[in-house]
Amino acid sequence: MAEWGSGGGSEGGGMSGIVNVRDLPVGARVVLGSGVEVEIVSNPGDGVWVFGRYLSAANGDPATVGTEEMIFAQDVVEVRG
Amino acid sequence: MSDDRTAILLLTQEIAQFLYTEAELLDERRHDEWLALLADDIRYWMPMRRNIKYGDTAREFTRETEDVSWFDEGKDTLTRRVRQLQTGIHWAEEPQSRISHMITNVQLLSVTPDEVVAKSRFLIYRNRVETETDLLVGKREDTLRRAGDGWQIARRKIILDQNVLLTKNLTFFF
Amino acid sequence: MPAIRTRGYHSGLVDLTSGLISREIFVNEEIYAQEQERVFARSWLFVGHESQIPNPGDFFSSRMGEESVIMCRDRAGAVHVFLNSCRHRGMKVCRYDDGNAAVFTCPYHGWSYGTDGALVGVPFFREAYRSELDRSKYGLIEVAQLCCYKGMVWATWDAAAPPFLEYLGEFRRFLDLILDGWDGREGQAEVLGGVQKWVIPCNWKFPAENFSGDTYHNISHRSVDLVGAGPSGRSRRDYGELNAARKLHVAIPDRGHQTITYVTPKDHVAQGAYQNSPEVAEYFRECEEQRRKRPGAISRLIGAPGEIFPNVALLPRQPRTLAVWHPVSAHQTEVWRFFFVDRDAPRAVKNFLRDYYIRYSGPAGMTEQDDMENWNYAHAASRGVVARRYPYTYEMGMGHAVENWEWEGYRMPGRVVDLTQAQASEEPMRNLYRRWAEFMDAESWDELMPWRNGAAAEAAKAAE
Repeated sequence: MAEWGSGGGSEGGGMSGIVNVRDLPVGARVVLGSGVEVEIVSNPGDGVWVFGRYLSAANGDPATVGTEEMIFAQDVVEVRG
Repeated sequence: MSDDRTAILLLTQEIAQFLYTEAELLDERRHDEWLALLADDIRYWMPMRRNIKYGDTAREFTRETEDVSWFDEGKDTLTRRVRQLQTGIHWAEEPQSRISHMITNVQLLSVTPDEVVAKSRFLIYRNRVETETDLLVGKREDTLRRAGDGWQIARRKIILDQNVLLTKNLTFFF
Repeated sequence: MPAIRTRGYHSGLVDLTSGLISREIFVNEEIYAQEQERVFARSWLFVGHESQIPNPGDFFSSRMGEESVIMCRDRAGAVHVFLNSCRHRGMKVCRYDDGNAAVFTCPYHGWSYGTDGALVGVPFFREAYRSELDRSKYGLIEVAQLCCYKGMVWATWDAAAPPFLEYLGEFRRFLDLILDGWDGREGQAEVLGGVQKWVIPCNWKFPAENFSGDTYHNISHRSVDLVGAGPSGRSRRDYGELNAARKLHVAIPDRGHQTITYVTPKDHVAQGAYQNSPEVAEYFRECEEQRRKRPGAISRLIGAPGEIFPNVALLPRQPRTLAVWHPVSAHQTEVWRFFFVDRDAPRAVKNFLRDYYIRYSGPAGMTEQDDMENWNYAHAASRGVVARRYPYTYEMGMGHAVENWEWEGYRMPGRVVDLTQAQASEEPMRNLYRRWAEFMDAESWDELMPWRNGAAAEAAKAAE
């Protein structure tokens, strides 16, 4: 449905601010739409999901820090390195 | 135009003419003459193709002499195939197919004093019996070796653009 | 021979008292549609081989009947077979031929499944679904039963089907011939990389009956015999090693499996085979010697074409290959051909065999090509309204099969026709179609297991 693709690669933002999660390496740090920071712990390479560990609190709950979650591609808005 | 460029253009045309002549022999069912164009040590290989993820090209083709392919053979087997056609009782070719090999996009990939590696594309149209029709399209990478005034095929790799084979048999040559 | 139960739709189409079988079963589209329910949704079907998925996460896309399935190994190492279709809106969750995956993800709405089939990823589960969806209900649809037998993966959608080995019955020793080592060690087979897949314009039952044991059709293959594509440069296989053997048709009644087979004499010494290569010939001579020393059926049997109901064709020897005749329509079949070697055979032996296999079998196979031509036009010529009035004859050798066949101490199960003199019979085909008609008529597996119900049930059936 998006009119432009991510413009190649896994660099943050691409042409239209969309991130292609397909090739994000383990250890990469990304930011979700909610502002939460996540570290990639594994990547199935399907461009739809990544497995991440919360580096900051999700949903305002500090207990989520350090826990792991499946992250949907649409939730990832920025790659921070 | 430089001498080098001219030489390449002429050689490309020479190779193309060779490939057209070869196609003519096949289409005319002059199989013994076609066999004479094959080097004694020819490898004739048509790998199968897998459906792969983007970037996973290493896994796209079945491996020569390791995996099962459509063809992976030498002159002995190719000769037996011709002999089978010539028995007149190879039912898969009774009646005989009508076939045209269209060869195009001829380009030279490398040139040495004795050998040329040429890439081309093919469209093979086969029609048999009443309405049976097949269209097979793909690429060929050929190693051609100088033989006297002409050439012989030392190696042919056939890259068919299909996964599930959409024809019932491969009783013809690529 | 007892009359087949005939009633309703299938009355008269398969008549084993006369040996006549209607062409309708091959060309009729309604019958084909019914087969998908009655035969393919209820039988045990071959999916793949464990050697294709050695590691956790490995998968191989396969088929069961018309349907796409995923055969995979989960993180704990267990093998699964799933319908390749997202539970949400149906998209295929795997469109690659094989590989390794942590999850199978649907590209339509992003639902994602683990290799154990569990639904692990649902986008916006908290927001859009308000956490109300019961994800445990929506894992990938898994087969009702699965059996890994000596590496072969078989599956069925029918929970009421008998276990695989019971389904196989006494055909098991013939399946062992393709799975066990050349020297008789159990379960040494591996599948060579690359499964041949191609389409043929005929009903799946043409190849199925051919591989059930058509010993009558050598004229089809006369051209390949003339040019000598066999592994000793003669004919299409090494017939010399079969000269001293008794050639048989063996039909396993009530199961619908049947085969050609050879029983060698008790003190048989292997004849020279694979003469095109001294190294390979010596390897096989050594293997044969080892095999003869083993106790049991394996030492006296030489494999030949056979068929496991409904659509799996076995050829354990020269070439060692298995074909699945996948139904596409009444008029089209997609063949998948697998080739086997012993996993620890020397490289030179594997190479030699692979060369032989692909010039024999498959669409580039000098032997198989002529079979397919016959199947193609036999089917085409049977589609017309007039052609369909005239059944095919399967009368060869009717009434001449024996039970309790024995020779030099070897006892063969099932109904046997000794072909040493007779050359050919159609007993295997009659066995196949009897079983086919039973499946088409039966409401459930309750009616398909006479061996469980004993003699009383047999008598009741014969009296119908």
